Amino acid sequence: MTHSHPLRAAVVGAGRMGMIHGHLLSVYPGTEVIGFVDRDTGLRDHLASQGLSAPLYPNVEALFAAATPEAVFICTPTHTHLTVVRECLGRRVHLFIEKPLATTLTDAEAILHLATEARVVHAAGYVYAHLPIVQAAHDLLARGVLGETLHFAAHAYVSEVFGPKRGWFFQRELSGGGVVANMASHLLFILGWFFGPIRRVVATTRSLGTAMDDSAQALLTFSSGVTGLLDTSWSMPGAQMLDYGLTIRGRRGTLVLGRDRILLHLLAPADGHDAGWSEIHASDLPADTAFDVSPHIGGEAFYRQLDSFVQACQSGALPFCSLVQACNTQRMIDAIYASSASGAPVEVS
Amino acid sequence: MSHLILEVRPPESQHYASWGERLETVARFNQPDEIHALCEKAYALGARAILAVFNDAIREALVAFQRWRDIPVWAVVPNMFAFIRDLTDLGLVGATRARFMRLTPPAMVRTGLRTMSALGGIRRRDLAVGTMLVSDMELAALRELRVTRLFLHPQVTEIALAGGATTVFTALAATTQRLGIEAGLVTHNPLRAAAVLGPELRRFAPIIAPCNSKGYKMFPNREECERLFRSDPACFIAAEVTAGGTLAPEAALAHARALGLSGAVLDFRMVEAGFRAGMAYADWSSNHGSKR
Repeated sequence: MTHSHPLRAAVVGAGRMGMIHGHLLSVYPGTEVIGFVDRDTGLRDHLASQGLSAPLYPNVEALFAAATPEAVFICTPTHTHLTVVRECLGRRVHLFIEKPLATTLTDAEAILHLATEARVVHAAGYVYAHLPIVQAAHDLLARGVLGETLHFAAHAYVSEVFGPKRGWFFQRELSGGGVVANMASHLLFILGWFFGPIRRVVATTRSLGTAMDDSAQALLTFSSGVTGLLDTSWSMPGAQMLDYGLTIRGRRGTLVLGRDRILLHLLAPADGHDAGWSEIHASDLPADTAFDVSPHIGGEAFYRQLDSFVQACQSGALPFCSLVQACNTQRMIDAIYASSASGAPVEVS
Repeated sequence: MSHLILEVRPPESQHYASWGERLETVARFNQPDEIHALCEKAYALGARAILAVFNDAIREALVAFQRWRDIPVWAVVPNMFAFIRDLTDLGLVGATRARFMRLTPPAMVRTGLRTMSALGGIRRRDLAVGTMLVSDMELAALRELRVTRLFLHPQVTEIALAGGATTVFTALAATTQRLGIEAGLVTHNPLRAAAVLGPELRRFAPIIAPCNSKGYKMFPNREECERLFRSDPACFIAAEVTAGGTLAPEAALAHARALGLSGAVLDFRMVEAGFRAGMAYADWSSNHGSKR
């Protein structure tokens, strides 16, 4: 499929994320929203009041009976993703699936298998990987600025759970887990993108306010030989938005990745960077975003995420954030929970 | 007219260079006295308005500050992060009820009457109706403050701009008219605002938008934003002037001043840096007539 016209897209699931994607698809010059799907058809007026006037259908079948989307954005609760993918892939449509991919590794792999068999372009919504500063860190590592990468320390904290919570998001069978599956997975995706397939996990999780994992510590070993520790909690005071940090040590230097900057310490000059400390700030990176849908959460990453998906749909090549990479993330999530449950290391094949 | 404006918002809702900096700053600026002291420092530097997203500590600090200083507050409502948190903890009804219960009895009656007249919109989950209902309740809780301008939280503004939902802005204008105050916009997308609102954009002046010499957070790009600013500079106030702390405050302010913008927003880092260095940013207005 090539597109000389705007990519016709539908959004399945008109909750908070569905609406954000609907708005982005409205403002992005190369896309057109042709429909929403939600079983709560009472949302029609709510969507219209936000300027989202595309028709709302009660199910995927009704969408395809009335319209011919070329791509669908699946933003329903996580436990429904596999079912919705099956329904959508009755036709050849590209898939964008909000994170996490599924509630289990088995479902995630089934989704990847279906998308691969259908030969469609696919991507997952790990939006933080699209922040320019994260992509700059990836490029530095890919260019070998640190030399051989050895180990890392990472954190992902947010103030979310300090007592009982409501809704599907806080029920393990519907959302796939707690902080690991739903918050730290952003960072797990980035780690997988940086360091490759996961090989071994030793982890513990704790419940504080919910019946799920509210905090976790995981020792991760990647096939590349990189090892590191992830500390995560959504019961940490002081952070209304996800606060993440990643320190990576290599033979030739250290890279510290934060929300808006990279601190780089090199033992010798490399790739145009001086020895010693230097800083790369987000403001030093090229600007390529036309609209900021959410200044405080995600920022321009949402627009860049859509741009990368649309370009992939146009070229037919999978983006870096494809379901292949999302399955690697799901393997990490699965192994963290398995290790925590068994109290033993988990080898990932 | 020209302004230097101090921005205060819950420290938990900001980004920091490190977890350590976050904890230190959050702990500090959860103390009303620290916020009050920041306001005094900003005043000494030349700030003559305070743009605020509220929590209890900020409200308490600004009430105390306004007892000493005749400085207007520009309120940004609703506090979307707090509202979304309450939504997951309490549900929509519970989150709304929690805000309602904080009101005084007269404010409860007024809110109740407005709610009755907006029942249709509430049933339809209309964005404009819902936003202004929650905003009204937050505003009622600010009754001890002198609020002269009202802005919608950027999380609402950008969604409304993306959808071209002008009713949200009409509702904001109606609320400010009823309250006898002025409306404004805080946005990262001023070009979209101009496209959506057309000639009505002026009604929401000042529009607070990123403006710095690096083009940081200026969407879609610096050139187009500056072209818009130059078309009517008095309508705009510069935010993000230091481009995330990478530009020196005085040079950053000079850039916005050179474009003729009607003011600039100072964040706590700029205030602390300026105060430590014994600077005064007050020269902002020297080429621009009197301060408000």
